[in-house]
Amino acid sequence: MEWNWDLILQLTWQQFGYWWVIIPATILGIVVGALPGFNAQNTLIILLPLTLTMDVSLALTFMIAVYCASHLGGGIPSILLNIPGNGGAAATCIDGYPMTKKGLGQQALVLSFVASVFGGLIATLLTIAALPILAQIGLYMRSVEMVVVILFGLTLIAVIAARDMLKGLIAGAFGLLIGIIGTDHVYSTPRATFGFLELYDGVPLVPVLIGLFAISEALIMIEEEMIVSESGRQHSHTVRWEDTLDGLKMSLERWWQITWTGLIGLVIGIIPGAGASIASFVAYQQSRLFSKTPHLYGTGHPEGVIAPESANNGVTSGTLVPMMAIGVPGGSTAAVMMIVVQYHGIVLGPRLFTERPDLAYGVFVSMAVCYILMILTILPLARYMSRVVLIPIKYLVPLITMLTIVAAFAEREYVFDMGLALAFGLIGYVAHKTQFHVTSILIGVILGPLFEQYLLRSLRLSQGDPMVLFSSTIGNVLWAMLVVSLLLPLWREWQLSKTEADAKFGGEA
Amino acid sequence: MTHLTRRSILQGTVATLALAAPAIRRAEAQAAFPSRNMKVVIPTNQGGGADRLARTFDDHWTKMIGKPFEYDFYPGAAGQVGYELFVNRRDRDGHNLLFGNMGPEMIMYTLQNPKYKFPDDFQYFCRLDVDDSVLFVRAQSPFKRIEDVVAEAKKRSVNVATSRIPHPASIGVLALGSATQSKFNLVPYAGGNPTMVAVLNGEVDVGVLPGANPIAMGDRIRILTVFNNKNALAAKMGNAPPVNQVFGTKIPDLYSSRAWAIHTEVINKYPDRFKLLNETAPKVFDVPAYRAEYEKTGAPIESVQYGDRDTCTKYAMAMIELANEYRSLLTGKKG
Repeated sequence: MEWNWDLILQLTWQQFGYWWVIIPATILGIVVGALPGFNAQNTLIILLPLTLTMDVSLALTFMIAVYCASHLGGGIPSILLNIPGNGGAAATCIDGYPMTKKGLGQQALVLSFVASVFGGLIATLLTIAALPILAQIGLYMRSVEMVVVILFGLTLIAVIAARDMLKGLIAGAFGLLIGIIGTDHVYSTPRATFGFLELYDGVPLVPVLIGLFAISEALIMIEEEMIVSESGRQHSHTVRWEDTLDGLKMSLERWWQITWTGLIGLVIGIIPGAGASIASFVAYQQSRLFSKTPHLYGTGHPEGVIAPESANNGVTSGTLVPMMAIGVPGGSTAAVMMIVVQYHGIVLGPRLFTERPDLAYGVFVSMAVCYILMILTILPLARYMSRVVLIPIKYLVPLITMLTIVAAFAEREYVFDMGLALAFGLIGYVAHKTQFHVTSILIGVILGPLFEQYLLRSLRLSQGDPMVLFSSTIGNVLWAMLVVSLLLPLWREWQLSKTEADAKFGGEA
Repeated sequence: MTHLTRRSILQGTVATLALAAPAIRRAEAQAAFPSRNMKVVIPTNQGGGADRLARTFDDHWTKMIGKPFEYDFYPGAAGQVGYELFVNRRDRDGHNLLFGNMGPEMIMYTLQNPKYKFPDDFQYFCRLDVDDSVLFVRAQSPFKRIEDVVAEAKKRSVNVATSRIPHPASIGVLALGSATQSKFNLVPYAGGNPTMVAVLNGEVDVGVLPGANPIAMGDRIRILTVFNNKNALAAKMGNAPPVNQVFGTKIPDLYSSRAWAIHTEVINKYPDRFKLLNETAPKVFDVPAYRAEYEKTGAPIESVQYGDRDTCTKYAMAMIELANEYRSLLTGKKG
């Protein structure tokens, strides 16, 4: 795996020549990413007959553009309608939607686009530069380490619950309980499925997302005339290019945050089995932890949009690292790409870098070029997209309900999933009305099964000895970081109250 | 005089359609088979071995039967979801097939008692491959021979990564433990790829899988033994010896076999349709391009072995018997 500038430049030039594939694929990716129930993986499976007949490097460019754009597209409905396009965009709702309600939808979209593109681009460039080293990460992150990484994401439940601890924890526990429905991870025996075949794979994420966010939000919208507040409406009516530039300025001021949260995504993406959902929740939690203004998170804070969006696109290059370096796909979309590559008789793994360096590096160069062309395609559209919020509720609600119910069906083609989405819609509505956090429920549903899987595997490896969780050096470093991340906010609050008390007594003196 | 109203036109249309419907259905049923795309349920994840094998095969089968194949993946509950869905929710008209891994999925069938019956509800009719189960370690492992692994397993319980517990390869290592009084701790990783990663990153001492996967990993993996009385792929497995030859045990041949399956009702109700599928599928094995494409995937060509309906049924029944024999070890339940 040697560094070869001439090759990289040649590949870059070649990839820019594929603009006619990248731009339509980007638009397709954004659309499927923005529609809950559709994603890059199922789109690429549908399009397999097409990609299998294409030249392998062109097919990979097409698939990579769809894949990267779908991760970006997922944030658009999160910001505008509080409906995440996929699990990786769920954390974007926490601050994206409040920005829209304030009339800052266009700025939030630009923040999301810039964070997605630059987070993804930086992670890709780093991958090209340090691929051999990064390939080792997947080999060091084992089940024990993954238990702690997922715990970082789960602690977000406590962060979200901070304003009403009891309700937040109840919501998180409810999500975790839902997450245990499905086949057990050791003997593959169905558990708590009530005999429903549709629940054997666990409670499916898409109907839960649609129910908790889209349908419950639609029910809440009915009570109002417009999504945005009166002042926000005035602002949205006069959207200008200046707002796009304002969003761009806000993004560039936070370049460092885009960089490091993108790298969180890259590292988590490299671990086979981990993905955008874990990355975005962990990045949000870490971003809040190290922020100078943690109290603003959840109120429409730009940093709360940047962190998850940058991380979920940082994942894109990460998931391809194990596929190219050791021949094992890092995620389900990478698995589909692997079918195409193998169909052309190309064997993935370390030898690829000596036998077909054009293809091994070409994949990542292609990704970098896709990101560059993506920002030019998407940025001008923010102005028009943000006007979605001006559609009157009487049209918007039926549209959302119809599209999302179909989307609930689309992924697995079970009518059962449509009913499930409606049931979770009611749960979400009641949760909203009683101030329980739906995001806490969702974190439990997404991360709970993953946590159980890695925890059970660790315990099986140790034959039941819980001390296995503290048996690795990397794991122990991660445990220490987790403890610090839990204690730091408490210490900060204590410092703040002490300062306030000192100032009060000082003032009285 | 009768007046034509919107309601009467609508009623007339509905009545005509209702009367014509059986005739339309009959005509459709009698139309040349296949009259639409073939739909295939795969009870494992996309991107896995079954997916790869099925697509390589259908490229050539399509040319013989005239319709392309579409795939749906239902890997839940060790394949149980895919099978239940195929048997109970797919039309039994020959346009729906299942492409499964007979070994592990028959073991799952025996242990889980699902809502379908073999061979009453479906039957395998075309075996594609025979992939012997192997035990392997990573290249840097201190275990150089299978004897080293067993010697260590007599001192302590050795962790073994497996795709899933209900699997012929898992039975192989459990049988080896029983026969040699050594201890193995099976850790399921839910798929061949994660199992390979667990061995490569040293999380487990050894792994067990069908041989094609470790062979494709090249020199990063060392295969130590094969659970078959003959090692047909010795040259590609670093001359790994058969387990029975090393220990004088009588462990049965344990291999995975991917096969096409169809509803039993189709075999009886539409014999002409089944005949077309059953007669064209074996011809794919004679297509040189198929063998060349199969080899390009990195899997050993020697594992491609056609088996007819009888061969498949015998193998499936043998797996049921084997699963019953090892039931307590595979389920973690006593008795």
